[in-house]
Amino acid sequence: MTEIPNSIDTSLTAQLTHGILPQPTSDEFARQEFVKSLKYHLATQISPGNKEALAARAAPAFAKAKGHPPETMEDVRSAMRDEPYFTFWSALQRNSQEMMWKSVQIPVERQLPELISRARTIEDASGSLDLDPALPIPTYHRAVDIHCLPGGYHSEFTADDVANGACYDRAVYLYAMGRMGPLNSDIGDTTIAFIKERFPDFAPARILDLGCTVGHSTLPYCDAWPDAEVHGIDVGAPVLRYAHARAEALGKTVHFSQQNAEQTNFPDAHFDLIVSHILVHETSNKAVRKIMREAHRLLRPGGIVVHAETPPYRDLPAYDAFMLDWDTRNNNEPFWGASHGLKATDIAAETGFDPAHAFEAYQPSAFDAAQARRTAVFQGGDFGGAGAWWLWGVRKPA
Amino acid sequence: MTAAVQLQKKAQGDRPQYFDDPAIDKVLAIALALAGETAVMRDRMDTIERLLEAGQPVTRAAIDGYIPGEAVRVERDAWREEFLANVLRIVQQEREGLARAAGLDLRYDDAVALVES
Repeated sequence: MTEIPNSIDTSLTAQLTHGILPQPTSDEFARQEFVKSLKYHLATQISPGNKEALAARAAPAFAKAKGHPPETMEDVRSAMRDEPYFTFWSALQRNSQEMMWKSVQIPVERQLPELISRARTIEDASGSLDLDPALPIPTYHRAVDIHCLPGGYHSEFTADDVANGACYDRAVYLYAMGRMGPLNSDIGDTTIAFIKERFPDFAPARILDLGCTVGHSTLPYCDAWPDAEVHGIDVGAPVLRYAHARAEALGKTVHFSQQNAEQTNFPDAHFDLIVSHILVHETSNKAVRKIMREAHRLLRPGGIVVHAETPPYRDLPAYDAFMLDWDTRNNNEPFWGASHGLKATDIAAETGFDPAHAFEAYQPSAFDAAQARRTAVFQGGDFGGAGAWWLWGVRKPA
Repeated sequence: MTAAVQLQKKAQGDRPQYFDDPAIDKVLAIALALAGETAVMRDRMDTIERLLEAGQPVTRAAIDGYIPGEAVRVERDAWREEFLANVLRIVQQEREGLARAAGLDLRYDDAVALVES
């Protein structure tokens, strides 16, 4: 027996403990671990049955009615609409999402005064936090709470609230089932790897992360380009307060401010690199174009904007696209489906960039340890399982 | 104990109804919550057993403060995987039937038609 209760865990199979991460009791931790196991069981044991249900039941019925087998994503959706196996898996998957938020809310609620006090009393901060209580929260965030986080990124339940930042930090780890690494940094790390491979001589002096939430994708940029000034913006105050405390606890210098990526207060040509990580699908068709126009204003000549997401449906087999689209109707992600139809060249052309300099690419996950337990498919409820991220963006001519 | 600040518990936006009878949606949520609480209790028992084996005091503080290291987490992951396979056996059973039918390209109705023909 060598277990030491509450020892600092630096393994690849646990979230790294840092100064602002809520500390669970053993029961609270067990409840979260159950959600992680449930999600993994659903992704590996139950979800694959949907393909068998399509082959055995839904596709033959569709073919009988339509005279041809399901070929497109819309065909598969139509074939699977009333398929009982799919319905039951969907219900299980939705429950796992709600259980996840509940499991992280319990310890956050219990420790909230202490977490707020820690975030309030940061000494000798190297980074900064600039909040704007008057900032309007975009309608696309107020309409539904994205991915079922009660209150979204922006709701405040008490003064100087950090609750939904704390909930989000822990939930991202559970949601990805640890497969984004101990610091949830895989999307940032992977985007950096792409930029360094594609643009080897690029050395940004100023970097902006759009929709940074708790900064889990932002912090890797501090290490990738140690001389760069790193900024993160988000519309949600609770996630930014938490992000600032988290960055300082981890010894990284980031300047966080509460701003909407559609229209910021930074000067023209202020940044060399603008990035976002799973932001685009949480906006809207109008907003993503405004964000790109703003990026065009903010980038200096030679600057690059890169967005990390999951792949567009056009790149996937019809069945995989259908499964990836699950979130649109089942996980409070209203723009998920439409955002998976975006084309880098189209958006670039519409927003002032030269489409000849637009790109779309796949980059293998930087966190490629065996502990990542990949399923190697893009599918609903299996976030980070595929082992790659889809990146799109454009470079401004020098 | 009630926390001083209550967080919002339901996400804004309509919850999808998966089954014709909404009671089934509720019962499934309750069943999964109970499975989760069973796993919590089992981990608590496992903690007590490990503290006893180590000759450490079995106090509530020791139990509540116990966070497992990697080796124990791996064991508990394996236990939960088996537990979930048992709890969700009925779903797995349907999947096996579908896999067989998909492999044979034969549905049960087809089999009946086959033997009756």
